[in-house]
Amino acid sequence: MRRSRLRWLRPIGIAVVLLWSLFPVYWALNTSLQTNAEAQSNPPTWFPTHLQFSNYEAIFGVGPSSASTAGGVGQALLNSSIESLGATILTLVIAVVGAYAFARLRFRLRGALFYLVLATLTLPVYATLIPIYQILTTTHLVNTYIGIIFVYTSGFLPLAMWIMYNMFQALPASIEEAAAIDGATTLQIFRRIVLPIVRPGMAAAAIITFLFGWGQFIFPLVLSSTNATQPLTVALSALAGRHVVPYTMINAGAIVAIAVPALIVFFLNRFIVDGIVAGSVK
Amino acid sequence: MSALSRLPGRTNQNRSQTIRRGAAETALPYAMVAPLLVFIGALALYPTIKTAYAAFVHDNALVPPTHFAGFSNFQDVFNNAQVRASLLNTGIYVVFGVVLSVGLGILFGLLLQRRFRGRGIVLALMVLPWALPGVVEGVIWSWIYDPTFGVLNATLKTAGVIHNYQLWLGTHQLETIFFISLVQVWQITPLAAILVLASLQSIPSELYEAADVDGANGWHAIKRITLPLIRPGIAIAVVEGLVMSLNIFDQVYVLNAGASTGSSLMSETYQITFGNLNFGDGYALSLMATVTTIALSLLAVKIIYRKVEY
Repeated sequence: MRRSRLRWLRPIGIAVVLLWSLFPVYWALNTSLQTNAEAQSNPPTWFPTHLQFSNYEAIFGVGPSSASTAGGVGQALLNSSIESLGATILTLVIAVVGAYAFARLRFRLRGALFYLVLATLTLPVYATLIPIYQILTTTHLVNTYIGIIFVYTSGFLPLAMWIMYNMFQALPASIEEAAAIDGATTLQIFRRIVLPIVRPGMAAAAIITFLFGWGQFIFPLVLSSTNATQPLTVALSALAGRHVVPYTMINAGAIVAIAVPALIVFFLNRFIVDGIVAGSVK
Repeated sequence: MSALSRLPGRTNQNRSQTIRRGAAETALPYAMVAPLLVFIGALALYPTIKTAYAAFVHDNALVPPTHFAGFSNFQDVFNNAQVRASLLNTGIYVVFGVVLSVGLGILFGLLLQRRFRGRGIVLALMVLPWALPGVVEGVIWSWIYDPTFGVLNATLKTAGVIHNYQLWLGTHQLETIFFISLVQVWQITPLAAILVLASLQSIPSELYEAADVDGANGWHAIKRITLPLIRPGIAIAVVEGLVMSLNIFDQVYVLNAGASTGSSLMSETYQITFGNLNFGDGYALSLMATVTTIALSLLAVKIIYRKVEY
């Protein structure tokens, strides 16, 4: 078939894509398993010669090398999990319910409200960062989980709503019509018939929302000044910014922050691609 | 759309049963969208309006009191050499970010267009950088860029590309921006590739077969058939790249040690607002950046996006 002369280029190209995508993560993993001396050797230590986990022990505050320079990664991991999961659950519930109303029900101002919600999808961080900081300060929600979860939720809602709206639109209306003729109420149709069908779409929206939450930086940087609520991203940048923590430990911290999204990408990749496409190409 | 509510006789049936159920059914849509509207209203729309207004208010914790100030915040920021440097830097971030991420995205998309064994795994691994936090990426790349122990220096020296270890960041403006931008490109290229792939998969294969019969070579087929037909995907990839690079912060925060060499509009806004506590100037920068982001996004869509028909 076409381009057969260039066929040999494809495997090389794919190998380059894989090297480009994976090498930085491999390098962090490799460094995190080395001693400081190995990490600073020249030529570089391409493969860890003997596995040792002292860097991980140090950043989680266990073992002999845990100094006051590092540590606190355990708390940050917990904070990241609570904030990302909390925002995902809240976003998903609100988005699914709202998107169904916009996609299938008829009410006054539906079009205007729909576009109002959708328009916030285009708002950059600049538009909301400083006012949100001021709102959370006056409502005493700075340095709280609930404050960060609310802020994440408001930011992720428009995309999640848009993904779910497209999923609902893609459903044939005939199933719901048949149920309505049989006397089912709107709420019954929504809960018993529609929700089970769009479960894959909900998974896609949930996974993308969770990954966004996990990666947040500037909002939690501004909204959490203490270790009690700082997520991994903020804790890690603070660790790296101190310039006294060895790079082997910093890379161990990075691998902890990478592990969760990496597992999600590896096992739930299908939903991610579906979600990205559903959320953008329209 | 809303086929349910158009069902014949449905409303009448409700009315004939009980009035209460009818009222509940009427109120239901509003109840369903209410939480959405509360969150969007309180933490997206209201803040945006606040930004638009507060850009014209003098609000500096070190120089009180707070008062309406017309365009003086905008004068302040344009008279600030650091801000002007960050504006120029951001322009360069945008050029690098959009060109590299979309260019690589198209390349990756074309490479992965056809089915082959293990394609699913390659796609999953390619998506990985997109799923990782920008800050964490900055942290792991800063070790790769390290001037003394970095693997980039070691590799390039072994390959004979450089004679001495280089300081990649913080000395030259363009070089610093390029290497910080590269980290962001690493993150957003998978998104561009997926958008391109999604467009590619909607192209009917008969078009290529016809071109093949007509004797078109590979490059001609790409130029004449593929690229025009994946314009919608490219348009969205350009807008994504544009918005991400205009907003670049995480990578800059971690990698830009030398103040204005690689500062971005967002890092400068952060510094002025939360470092210098000059909220008025921070708001002025935020408003300009918001308007620019939205205007450029719309422009990019208008120029590139065209409905394609096969």
